[in-house]
Amino acid sequence: MQILRETKLEGLRLARKVGRQKVLEILLKKKLGGRGGANFPVAKKWETALGVKADERYVICNADEGEPGTFKDKFILKNNFETMIEGLLIAAYVLRAKRCFIYLRGEYDYLREELEEKIKEVLEKSKMKVSIEIVRGAGAYICGEETAIIQSIMGNRGSSMYKPPHPTISGLWGKPTVLNNVETLTCVPQALVYEDWNPDYRLFSISGDVNHPGVYEWELGVKMSTILDVVKPREKIKAMSFGCFGGIMPVKKSSSVSQETICKGNCQHGAFSIIFIGERHNIVDICLSIAKFYTYESCGKCTPCREGTIRLVNLLKKIKSKKVNEGDIKLLKEFAEHIQETSLCGLGQSCGNHILTSLKYFKKDYMRYIK
Amino acid sequence: MRIILDGKNLEVDGEKTILEICQGQNIKIPTLCYHKNLFPEARCRLCLVDLDGKLVTACSTKAKENSKIVTSSEKVLMARRRNMELMNPGVDIGKLSDDFEAREIYEQVGLDNERFKPIKNYLPELGAALVRDNNKCVNCGRCVQVCEKIQAISAVDFASRAHNEHVTPYFEKHLSDIACIKCGQCLINCPVGAISERSHLKEVVEALNNPKKHVVAQTAPSIRAALGELFGMEAGTLVTGKMVTALRGCGFDKVFDVDLGADMTIMEESAELLKRIEKGGPFPMITTCCPSWILMMEHFYPELIPNMSTCKSPHEMLGMLIKTYYAEKANINPKDIVVVSIMPCVAKKFESTRPELNTEVDYVLTTRELGRLIKQRKIDFVKLEDEDFDPTLGIASGAGDIFGNAGGVMEAALRTSYEIATGKKLKKVEFDNLRNFKGIKTGSIKLNNNVIKYACASGGANIRELLKNKDKYQFLEMMACPGGCIGGGGQPIYFDDKVLELRSKALYEQDSKREFRRSHENPIVKEIYKKYLGKPLSKKAEKLLHTRYRERDGF
Repeated sequence: MQILRETKLEGLRLARKVGRQKVLEILLKKKLGGRGGANFPVAKKWETALGVKADERYVICNADEGEPGTFKDKFILKNNFETMIEGLLIAAYVLRAKRCFIYLRGEYDYLREELEEKIKEVLEKSKMKVSIEIVRGAGAYICGEETAIIQSIMGNRGSSMYKPPHPTISGLWGKPTVLNNVETLTCVPQALVYEDWNPDYRLFSISGDVNHPGVYEWELGVKMSTILDVVKPREKIKAMSFGCFGGIMPVKKSSSVSQETICKGNCQHGAFSIIFIGERHNIVDICLSIAKFYTYESCGKCTPCREGTIRLVNLLKKIKSKKVNEGDIKLLKEFAEHIQETSLCGLGQSCGNHILTSLKYFKKDYMRYIK
Repeated sequence: MRIILDGKNLEVDGEKTILEICQGQNIKIPTLCYHKNLFPEARCRLCLVDLDGKLVTACSTKAKENSKIVTSSEKVLMARRRNMELMNPGVDIGKLSDDFEAREIYEQVGLDNERFKPIKNYLPELGAALVRDNNKCVNCGRCVQVCEKIQAISAVDFASRAHNEHVTPYFEKHLSDIACIKCGQCLINCPVGAISERSHLKEVVEALNNPKKHVVAQTAPSIRAALGELFGMEAGTLVTGKMVTALRGCGFDKVFDVDLGADMTIMEESAELLKRIEKGGPFPMITTCCPSWILMMEHFYPELIPNMSTCKSPHEMLGMLIKTYYAEKANINPKDIVVVSIMPCVAKKFESTRPELNTEVDYVLTTRELGRLIKQRKIDFVKLEDEDFDPTLGIASGAGDIFGNAGGVMEAALRTSYEIATGKKLKKVEFDNLRNFKGIKTGSIKLNNNVIKYACASGGANIRELLKNKDKYQFLEMMACPGGCIGGGGQPIYFDDKVLELRSKALYEQDSKREFRRSHENPIVKEIYKKYLGKPLSKKAEKLLHTRYRERDGF
């Protein structure tokens, strides 16, 4: 796997040798994009923060992967953490940052001691005067969102803030702040060191009705048949869900997994966590459990997401009780769309995806409950 | 910067938010969580507009060059209505009080509330001063922001997530159990009335209906500059005479003026200041008219207890005099007298429960409650004739009038302290350096050989700021509400700071028209001291008009 290649501080040495500007050039040329899902060029992000006049800048590693069905960051933390620290140090070097933070998912706290030891080791070897602090998340899904992470690190309640200003301009304590996730930072030194580094390799977290769930690495555009051959479905697969927020779409063996093919289906691949759903499931059940997740995890700040998510749950429950007509399905669609359109942050803006896509592809499952 | 707003080409300031641009163009955008003095958190999402095909919140979004903004397309209106529907299912617009912003906005947006049932089920919280009902709350967060940023108290914040998110003191405690100063600024800023005063109206009406009781009203200085607003009169209209007539019409046996109590406070406080100058401290001496400031001091600055003046607040002084001096004079058993203070303040409701005060004030009504009482009695307020206060305790000086303004207590105290200390008359009784809307006002005055440096702060955050430099001063005036009592938590709800300026101007105007401008010139004050108390700080005055304080928990 490309992501497991170690760089042994070679990337950092190289970065310091060629200088900040050159590092940005290389990263841009190598097409390293953010792996959270948006694929925003890392070099661009860093450049913006570097361009802001400030006496201090911060780097935050987002290790709060809370998306259901996603576990690839944990895989990296366990297996190639040193390279990730190196990525963090390169970011600190380029941005002239003195303090870095790793916002660690609360559930991964058991890894912390080990991680702290490794940080100490790498820092000693690198001889950089930078501090890396692990901040433990308290278990809120919203704290994977960048502005909420910043609020949480500052000791505030984790809730998303209105953008702009973007964190790169004014983030932690009002200073320019760069946030990258674990996978992205691990790729930084690898992209610098290895000539043959391929920007299109992605980590996939596969779970659901399969015999071999786990973390895999494939190139973008990989054929669905390839994936299914490896993970071995337990039964006939009816649908796949991209985490919680990405939406639910039917599985076609001949299709390939890439931005274009998925987005045309109105889904979002996000961090490529695919949950395979077998034939025995009704999609309404799946939607209900995803909707319940959102009513639990919405931060509560803005009206549509705070009040709307619970209404979606109630509507889905009502549909399952078979005491509905088509008007209720219309209402479900109306409000799923409404919440997406008018919410403040990414959570609200995607929390109706599963309903909208399933209504599009699996209307039959809903109609079963209609009188 | 050029934009197209509702089809019109406009040249606008690029630094302004869409909401500000629309307000400038007289386009009405409904807002609930937005408040001019606060940071736009974009929570309520009622101010949605269409910016280049995308719905954005007008309060927090700035327009871009050449962008096209639509404020009232079907898509925009429907989205606003749906958010309203989500926010407040089951609300009956007809039953909403006029006092609050929400009603107008609900009507503007239109509320379709048949599709969802209410899900909130909170226990309302009943305190001595404030009542909080989270079932009415729409999570706009204005109370949270005001409490944190303007008052610097942080008594409440949000807790829980999603639909369970609600405003609460820490650990779901009650406001009465925590370091809350009961200023009521949260109430003034609540658009839906989820926070309200603990009403004493029912008890007062019962007393008024009891023929055995001699019910006395005493009205605070700042009421007369604000009460008219509740009856559609312009902000800053002085309604002193109408107010007295209305109170008599409601059935009060006597109507007295707390401005006189203010004069008494000044007499005692000035004497205290001069005594401290003689003794050399402790300085700075700090005023104690504001019960919220006293709470703030007891919770957060207990080390200042020796610095506090020991004077009771004006209405407590007058309340005491009503049940002693007046009762004696009018030959009424004090037990039959019911003293009702009409105050611009919710903290006064709490104050009257303080054991340290041995209070003689039975009930406290806010300006809003008085308005409600007058409306209940079907009195046509605007058309009322003017009447005078009952003269026994109803003549005040201009110094008492300006107590309602931040800086007014200081001005009144300086008028008297200067003239008593130096024996000279002030050429000009107006202190212009104290007559503005700055959060912190400072100055100095020479009393014989001593230069007294003084400062005034209003608003919790300003108080904290001033206390950082407290050692530079000998005399401080602290008011918990921005602008002083005219902006108090018991006043009619206002949306524009202009209202405060107008109210303040009205009080200064009343001062300028008074026969007596200085507290020590007030003939009633002279009479009370001559016939009853002796002189300021006499043993009897100490017993009746002074109090003490205690340390409270900082959490």
